Amino acid sequence: MARARILVAEDEPSIAQSLDFILRRADFDVDLVGDGALALDMMKRQSYGAVILDIMLPGMNGFDVLRAVRAEERLAALPIVVLTAKGQANDRRTAEAIGASAFITKPFSNAEIVERIRELTA
Amino acid sequence: MVEKLAGLKIRSLRRKAGLTQSELARRAGISASYLTLIEGNKRTVNGALLNRIAAGLGVERTTLDGSGERQLAESLREVAADPALGARSIPPASPEELVGRYPVWADLILRLYGAFQDERQMVMALADRLSGDPFLAESVHRILTGVTAIRSAAEILADQGALRDEERDRFASMIANDSDKLSATARSLVAFFDNPNVRVRSATPMEHVDAFLFETDNHFPTLEAGAEEFLAGLRPAETVEAAAVRMTGPAADTPRSRIEPSETRRFRLVRAALAPIVEAEARRLVGQHAALGSEEARELALVALLNYATGAVLMPYEPFLRAAEEARYDLDRLSRLFGVSYEQASHRLATLRRRGDEGVRFAFMRSDPSGYVTKRLPLQGLPLPRYGTACPLWPVYRAFQTPGVTIASFGELPTGDQFLFFARAVEKNPPLAGLPRHLLSVMLACPVGQAGRVGYGDGIDRKTAMIPAGVFCRLCPRPACVHRQEPSLIA
Repeated sequence: MARARILVAEDEPSIAQSLDFILRRADFDVDLVGDGALALDMMKRQSYGAVILDIMLPGMNGFDVLRAVRAEERLAALPIVVLTAKGQANDRRTAEAIGASAFITKPFSNAEIVERIRELTA
Repeated sequence: MVEKLAGLKIRSLRRKAGLTQSELARRAGISASYLTLIEGNKRTVNGALLNRIAAGLGVERTTLDGSGERQLAESLREVAADPALGARSIPPASPEELVGRYPVWADLILRLYGAFQDERQMVMALADRLSGDPFLAESVHRILTGVTAIRSAAEILADQGALRDEERDRFASMIANDSDKLSATARSLVAFFDNPNVRVRSATPMEHVDAFLFETDNHFPTLEAGAEEFLAGLRPAETVEAAAVRMTGPAADTPRSRIEPSETRRFRLVRAALAPIVEAEARRLVGQHAALGSEEARELALVALLNYATGAVLMPYEPFLRAAEEARYDLDRLSRLFGVSYEQASHRLATLRRRGDEGVRFAFMRSDPSGYVTKRLPLQGLPLPRYGTACPLWPVYRAFQTPGVTIASFGELPTGDQFLFFARAVEKNPPLAGLPRHLLSVMLACPVGQAGRVGYGDGIDRKTAMIPAGVFCRLCPRPACVHRQEPSLIA
């Protein structure tokens, strides 16, 4: 079976690098992007097994990206994990309402990320 | 309500003086049983009888007519209507009962409420700040980002076996970098909370000053005397302004003074020259008064008294009262005659209360466009709200629609008391580019019985143009009023 490709949309370089490292070590291919509009573009052009989407992104925030993705017929079922901040219950409700597949709360553990991505790409 | 307070007051003063009912009745020339009825609030006490009872008790008549207590009762009524206290209706026992029987407790309730208001405002300001402060929101985001990065990299490092050397170095240096950033964020957060710049204005000291002015009837004979002394010291043909300059030197030339209205500058100049003459007396008046419970309140009251004395110099009692009566209280005319602003003249009108030589008794209220009351001097029968905005029908608010124009109207309160109200929105400070004009509305009100002496009521038909007004919505029983902002607790 071909390795699933994961898009990580996260503008903080340290977090992006760690995610890149742990996902590759868990046998995924990874694309990194630090801008919301670019992330949307890549989802439209590439075929991803899952997307990890931060809310606080420059260019176009995570909510807007998610809305645009769900409006595309081809991307309507794409698994998207939204990274939210602990205590930001409103963010979570909003993301749920516009079609997030799962949430991971910062600060997260690496094992949690890998496990969740495995579930969604199984 | 008036009688109730008088009855209770008479009884408590009589007991305090160690007099029996029959002894006081004898002194007042009435029967003991009639006094029993009066003390039990079963009979009205009229003017002449009240005078005799006061003489019998050896107190001033004003001690008995209970105006201070009525004010206290009005304030308690307002407190009872505060939705924050959860009252769905006004308590059945009247506040007058409480004030009459337990004045100290009544006063304590008001003080407690004042303190509660202060705390409530502080909490609201802090809550606003915490939830809406962009710096805090940004800091929380940075902390979470930093912690997430460090945790993730640390977990990778902890899993040692799987790492190459250069990977270990990369994640170790990431942790070092992110720790640095996190420390900087933590430091700026600490600095933020160390900075005591959350200042919430306490409403209490200003209220104490209001109470002080009300209890002293906003008239200070010794300050009037101080002002006369100042005027007596003028050299022949010397103006007040010239004397002030002679005594303290010319006013400082600052960017602000260059654009301020001439009346404001004149007022400041005279106040500076007058202060050394009247300050000791003003401090004495302030220092001995029970209503001024804090240093802050005493300082505010001192400023109010210095302004009072300055007003008395610029608008000396006798000539000002004569001119006011002659001009039928036309504030524009009075301002021009005495070289003062509309607001300064309005203030002075509310102080013309010398016994035996009184002007029209005015209530005074000043509000900003948001409805915040910045000065208040209530009147018997016309309580001015302490903790909220007043009736929207009062001209104090309408005046903002046409700044510089005096708006007058007759109004009848639900109690049946009628008043002549007149207000004007005046520009407090010169306009600053890009900011709205700094307008304050100044309102005077007098009982309808005295309105005949005041020109602002001329031409208004009291029968057809008597506006059914209130004091404020929560205590107003007029269900059909289209200006109602919130439901009434008593309708």
